[in-house]
Amino acid sequence: MSEIKQHAFLFDAARCIDCRACMVACSVENKIPMDKTRIWVSGIGVKGEYPNLESATMVYHCMHCEDPDCASACPVGAWVKRSDGPVLYDSKLCIGCRYCMNACPFGVPHYDWDKGLIDGAFIDKCSMCPQRIDIGLEPACVATCPTDALVFGERADLLKDAHARIAAHPYRYIDHVYGETENGGTSYLIISHVPFKELGLPELGPTPLKDISELIMGGTIPFALGWAAVLSGVAAGAYALDKKKEAKDKHVETQEELPAKTEATQ
Amino acid sequence: MPNTLSRRDFLKVGGAAVGALVLGRFIPPLVAEAARATGMLDATNSGYIPTMCEMCVWRCGVLAKVEDGRVVKLEGNPDHPHSKGNLCPRGQSGLMNTYDPDRVLSPLVRVGKRGEGLFRKTSWDEALDIVATNMLKIKEKYGPEAMVFSSTHNLSQPLFENLLYAFGSPNYGTQRSLCFNAMITAFSLTYGVEEPSRKYDDVEFILMVGRNMMEAISTSETSELSHAIDRGAKFVYLDPRYTKTASKATEWIPIRPGTDSAFLLAMINVIVSNELADCEFVKKYVVGCDGIKTAMQGYTPEWAEEITGVPATTIERIAREYAAAKHNALAHPGWRTSNFINSFQTERAIATLNALSGNVLTPGGCLSAEMAAEGAGLGAPPQPPYPRVSALRLDGVPWKYPLVSLKLGVFQELRDTILTGEPYQAHGWFISRQNPILSLPDRAKTLEAFGKMDFITTIDIIMNDTAWFSDVVLPETSYLERYDPLLPVGDKAFIRQPVVEPQGEAKSALWIYKQLGERLGLGDFFHYADEEDYLRQQLASLGVSLEEVKSKGYAEMPETESSGEITFNTPSGKIEVYSETLKNAGFSPWPTWEEPPQPAEGQFYLLTGKVAQQTQFGTQNNQMLHKYSDEPRLWMNAKVAAEKGLADGDWVEVTSEVGKANVRLLATQAIRPDCVYLTPGYGHLSKGLTTAFGFGTSDSVLHVTYTDPISGGQALSQTFVSVKKA
Repeated sequence: MSEIKQHAFLFDAARCIDCRACMVACSVENKIPMDKTRIWVSGIGVKGEYPNLESATMVYHCMHCEDPDCASACPVGAWVKRSDGPVLYDSKLCIGCRYCMNACPFGVPHYDWDKGLIDGAFIDKCSMCPQRIDIGLEPACVATCPTDALVFGERADLLKDAHARIAAHPYRYIDHVYGETENGGTSYLIISHVPFKELGLPELGPTPLKDISELIMGGTIPFALGWAAVLSGVAAGAYALDKKKEAKDKHVETQEELPAKTEATQ
Repeated sequence: MPNTLSRRDFLKVGGAAVGALVLGRFIPPLVAEAARATGMLDATNSGYIPTMCEMCVWRCGVLAKVEDGRVVKLEGNPDHPHSKGNLCPRGQSGLMNTYDPDRVLSPLVRVGKRGEGLFRKTSWDEALDIVATNMLKIKEKYGPEAMVFSSTHNLSQPLFENLLYAFGSPNYGTQRSLCFNAMITAFSLTYGVEEPSRKYDDVEFILMVGRNMMEAISTSETSELSHAIDRGAKFVYLDPRYTKTASKATEWIPIRPGTDSAFLLAMINVIVSNELADCEFVKKYVVGCDGIKTAMQGYTPEWAEEITGVPATTIERIAREYAAAKHNALAHPGWRTSNFINSFQTERAIATLNALSGNVLTPGGCLSAEMAAEGAGLGAPPQPPYPRVSALRLDGVPWKYPLVSLKLGVFQELRDTILTGEPYQAHGWFISRQNPILSLPDRAKTLEAFGKMDFITTIDIIMNDTAWFSDVVLPETSYLERYDPLLPVGDKAFIRQPVVEPQGEAKSALWIYKQLGERLGLGDFFHYADEEDYLRQQLASLGVSLEEVKSKGYAEMPETESSGEITFNTPSGKIEVYSETLKNAGFSPWPTWEEPPQPAEGQFYLLTGKVAQQTQFGTQNNQMLHKYSDEPRLWMNAKVAAEKGLADGDWVEVTSEVGKANVRLLATQAIRPDCVYLTPGYGHLSKGLTTAFGFGTSDSVLHVTYTDPISGGQALSQTFVSVKKA
């Protein structure tokens, strides 16, 4: 068995040279169709005005959240967070509802429109190369990275490494490790010399979005009951008022009409 | 799979362990048969086979993952000093070269007009007979010198050269004058080595002049540079373009094209006039330490500011920072230094800066100028001496270009003399793994030169443009399907071996040259039974079996004994900042300033330079690289584009003295206002390249031919263009 309890990536934007070796390695390793990709490069492009320029790129793929929203949103359990890190997808279970795509705050899972119910697979995303990590190899993207912008290992060790790099070059890096707490923590950790938002990363709190929605969803029954009680109260009040009014106008209403009106109100 | 080692051991930290695992566990032995015998493949023909990349000339070590006789993935070999476990995007996509649907898989003979693309398939016997008959006909009628041979940097080149020297032709075209003549000539004259190697372990200050290391990737060196920057080394980078390398530099200087040598000469001026150099080293090992102060007198930072556009204070500061780093400073020699006719002087100035920092041969110094005794420990098949050649070389070496080495040549001049027919007319062209139609400047002229030929034959794995215009096309196996001669790197000799069976009728260069040699009556120059026999003869003196080398990926070489004495392979035995050789040939003995031409009003410098996803002119048909490459557009400064009424994405017409090309515009801040840039290698003419044909445009259409009289280098950035809306 592996000694690694929690596999994770550490990406350093200051080291990335946008060579795309990771993209090619991933596509070959995972036999990705020629019109698809599991990795993309986002970034700030060339910012500024000649000659005062800045540029930064980021290798973007699944963040492998500690507590993934995709898995939470999936009605059939096609997403599983493996205890040692990777968030994995089972195409056999997938019904193609695409709830996971809406749930993921990073916009990672993508739908394969070329495939249908017949082919079975709908969603594609980075898998952390379980076929490699299970035999002790690094994921394909990490193994080939010529500048070590991507490294792989135990999450706790990488976090320490990330903080050590920031401490060693405080003027270079932003003092934050993205993914340490974001969305409840991710297995893809990022340090950068430009704001994370500019790299295309969403600003997220430490609570996974799904917990927020669970909080809301968890409140729906009490809320519904409470609302029902309120409405019942309103109804009862209205009835009572109505009764009073009826009593006042008794001389106008016939005796037979009353029960029928009461039923309608209830 | 049972696993006795922990996974942790295989992680990058212990990259070597991956090799151990791969070699010890997976690798069981022709390709499948032989690989099983040596233990590289298992009973299902699956496993890892060590070999060598050929996606560029850096030649990283590769572990090819094979499944059921098919290569499915390439990994960087942790045991190889050029890959250290990593591969660049080109290396990763290498298997798509082998599985390119456009592979030529049988010998072809032209049946239509040249360039029409009509060929018939034929047998090797017939194809080789046609080639040999035509070559012999030309030899008999016009002499052997009427056959031109050309090939680009590859491992079977010694056998290619065998063929041409045995045939008796002096006319040899390589890519060198389109690439690194300036660097090699300058360093050979100054240090007596072609290309000093760099060491980044202790580097504190790195100066790179247009060496776009983060895009023109040399895997291990790119990695070393990246780690040096990471550590906090100062990295000053001169380039008119904000490349990916510029974005990683501590200081990017968008210098005016063609003026690098003025910048460097002013740095030398600051260092010598303030006596900041490593005097002890300089006095002991450098010729010229007495006169250099006087020779550099006029090259003040103020003088350089006028020329380069870089403030004098900046130049002075950088010179002082460079000198302060002492032998931990590195002025990088560069690579493709064919930029301006003064690029030789740029390289001489770089060589001088290194000498002044004392970084050569000093322990911990950043430049290693030891003579690389490449291949010294390896055997070779016996062969008779070459016939004496009395004909002049068409490329003017040495009668027109006295300082250009025979090995380097001046390819563009060779093409031009084919056109003029002076001093004599060439009639046949034998090309191996080279694409001069795209690589030589002024494509119209190259096509015209092709028209002058009675016979053209090309060896390639795909229908490259040059093959498209040939009479016979001989299909070579891809680098994952063949053996090449062993390559020594450091104290090891590495192997390139087939990891999968060759497709179709494709054959290795070693086989083709031998077959052709025999038909030309030159069989004595090819004393090997087959590829494996050639490698066995190379290994004979080492006492290692081929089988062992195949499974290990390399052979250990005996250590070469160092005399301990420092001498340089120059006439004086010292570093020649002052060169008598140059003086005697009628050139300045000191590094000197030569004013290059400038574009006229409304014109731009046309710059070219590599991208990380493509290599020169041969990889654009690789579908995987095509997928991950940016569309090749013409970069223009966004402000200038706006002034010209051009918008990003517009189609524009680019016109130079020799040609016109239409291309889409990229309006960007990342380039000087007086420059435009085009990615080279696109705009293929061959319809046999279904991915690359018609995509982008070729810089060779626009490039004007200018040759540096000292190094013979083609000045690729000396072409000026005008741009208007198409």
